[in-house]
Amino acid sequence: MDWNADHAGFVTAAYALSLVLVAGLIMYVFNRDARIRKRLAQFEKAKK
Amino acid sequence: MQQFANPTRFLAIANKALPLIWVLTIILFAIGLYGALVTAPPDYQQGETVRIMFVHVPAAWLAMLVYTVMALASAVAIIFRHPLADVAAKSAAPIGAVFCFLALATGSLWGKPMWGAWWVWDARLTSMFVLFLLYVGYIAIWQAIEEPGRAAMIARIVALVGFINIPVIKFSVDWWNTLHQPASVLRMDGSTIDWSIRWPLLVLGLAYTLLFLALHLMSMRSEIAARKLRNLQIARSGEA
Repeated sequence: MDWNADHAGFVTAAYALSLVLVAGLIMYVFNRDARIRKRLAQFEKAKK
Repeated sequence: MQQFANPTRFLAIANKALPLIWVLTIILFAIGLYGALVTAPPDYQQGETVRIMFVHVPAAWLAMLVYTVMALASAVAIIFRHPLADVAAKSAAPIGAVFCFLALATGSLWGKPMWGAWWVWDARLTSMFVLFLLYVGYIAIWQAIEEPGRAAMIARIVALVGFINIPVIKFSVDWWNTLHQPASVLRMDGSTIDWSIRWPLLVLGLAYTLLFLALHLMSMRSEIAARKLRNLQIARSGEA
């Protein structure tokens, strides 16, 4: 990849956007999974 | 399929499979990105801009694949009353919406230097935009309707009716005159792309697919836990 080529900024922007969105999606899924499972565990523990 | 209907059995299998899927996803992304940014040559017409294809095309493939999964799960929910089918469809929607947005945005970034325009209302782009609206509408149904049974029924119908858009996207470049190029990988007469460019594309396509699988299994696990939590809360409020 020649980072000084014509339109290289568009390539950088496309990869950066993909990285941000995919990383954001992964973080969202991980956080939601951890939050809900923690609440469920707390609820079940409190019930006992 | 019925053997996976038990959420406990499904969770046991998912929990075992997830670490392996994540490891494979990371390895395939590393190999695919190396091929895309280092070994693949620039295109003789598009130059370095062709490298946008390696993030744009897998995102578009996945946007269509995820919607197909949602439509199939919705059909299974209606026909077989499979208890995990609605969970599968609902959990897939936000992931598919992100892939669809990514395909539209990276396509726009590719379109500007190649076509001279960020956006054109040609058949491929328009049908892809309709797919994004279908994702947003499907997610909105689950958010807006409080009664889960009613939300599930409407969401199933939307997913199945919206599936008509998938073949329209695929064949839009053949049925209409479009600025978007015709299919060059998935063709009856074989791919028109050189192997040096095709292999990183296929590896990244597989990496995106495994990423979806991992995120989907985790989202399904969360949704099962959320439903269990809601049922427990309802049961407790009934006892009180």
